[in-house]
Amino acid sequence: MRASGRRVPVLLALASAALIAADTVTPLEPLRAFGSAVFGGLEDAASAGVRWASGEHRVAELERENARLRADLLAARRTIPSPAQADGYRVVSAHVIGFGRDGTVTVDTGSDAGVTRDMTVFDGDGLVGRILRSGPGTATVQLATASGASIGARLEGSREVGLVTGVPEHGLLRLSLLNASAEVKPGDRVVTLGSRDMRPYVPDVPIGTVVTVEPAPDALTRTALVRPFARFTALDLVTVVLGPLPDAAAVDASAAESEAGSEAGGEAGGGDADAAKSGEKNQKKAKGA
Amino acid sequence: MKAVVLSVLVVLLAPVLQVAVVNGLSLPGGGPDVVLVAVIALAALLRPGAGAFLGFAAGLAADVAPPADHTIGRLALVMCLAGWVCARVTADGAAGRRAAVAAVVALGATLAGGVLAALLDGTPWGTALAPGAVAWTVGLAALVAAALALLPRRRSFGRVPRSRDGSRDRYGRGRRLA
Repeated sequence: MRASGRRVPVLLALASAALIAADTVTPLEPLRAFGSAVFGGLEDAASAGVRWASGEHRVAELERENARLRADLLAARRTIPSPAQADGYRVVSAHVIGFGRDGTVTVDTGSDAGVTRDMTVFDGDGLVGRILRSGPGTATVQLATASGASIGARLEGSREVGLVTGVPEHGLLRLSLLNASAEVKPGDRVVTLGSRDMRPYVPDVPIGTVVTVEPAPDALTRTALVRPFARFTALDLVTVVLGPLPDAAAVDASAAESEAGSEAGGEAGGGDADAAKSGEKNQKKAKGA
Repeated sequence: MKAVVLSVLVVLLAPVLQVAVVNGLSLPGGGPDVVLVAVIALAALLRPGAGAFLGFAAGLAADVAPPADHTIGRLALVMCLAGWVCARVTADGAAGRRAAVAAVVALGATLAGGVLAALLDGTPWGTALAPGAVAWTVGLAALVAAALALLPRRRSFGRVPRSRDGSRDRYGRGRRLA
């Protein structure tokens, strides 16, 4: 009697241990895909219910936020001198529908919308993180503050290169500059360095500002604590970068179209420099309109 | 039958409630682990084997529900044991005793889960054993267990009928002794 009463829990505990061992050796992606297929839709529905319950003014609020994001995006493209930024990106916007305990969140867009792993996610404030994996209708985002995250970064002013890692306890990030004698002071802005093929991170997305410079005992690297721009506990609308646009003119044209309601001819730029230039032209056009 | 339906509901909905609602509230200190609370509350009304199975299923669900990015099986192991212990230990006691058992099991499971998180996934100890989250979980588990114990129909709920007879109930004696 006793023995049969114990057999079930012992077997289940062994099964759990076997799962842990298996997942440590080879990640059990099919199981996670199954999980996101089953629970993704439920989370989406629950989150939509919460949003609906929290008031009808949400739509207006989101529209305002959307407009602000577009404006920010345009402004960012205009001011930052990096040529890469002049390129438009194909993006898809998404809601954050679930907050995890592992420095991850779920967004309500997935492989249906072309989202795959290692894509940049940002919101109106700054960098949020990168796509870790995507299911049919949802995707998991690893936040910049997650303990496993590391992001190539640079100081916006001096262009010094470093690495940003998560310090999850305090919601801060740690910037390690490769150049040990680099000048860094509180208030400096930190942006992403950008990766090859724009994955996992596109360049020049604002990450945060330096709050304190840590004393360097080994003097091999220079480290500083960075307060992120994005509010990771109150994420809502985020943008996922799908990839570069075929030409820069088209995105600016479409931005201009939706901003000012004017019809803008998509003049295709030839080379990279050309594309940047024509992008600028289109932005001016949008301003004029 | 009712217990099966409730168990399926817990397995399907508790992880969703956790990630879509509770974690999004940004409660001070982190917020409770509602999956663990649901397992503890419901396992107290089940037989030990069923309690262990409920814990395993709910833990596995919480392991694979989308934003989770930790080793699969970690929560399944902890909650399987929590469900089993809770189903075994909880006697036909008063609300206070049930609440105490639930609180102790919740505390043990949260601490064990935190240790596993730190060892398996490299979660910093401060995050893995955040006192705020532990306090939320323990408090909510005690509260829910007490509330369920005060419900009038708890005796006939999800149990083998005629549990007092002894002849049909394989666990009756063990439970009362424990």
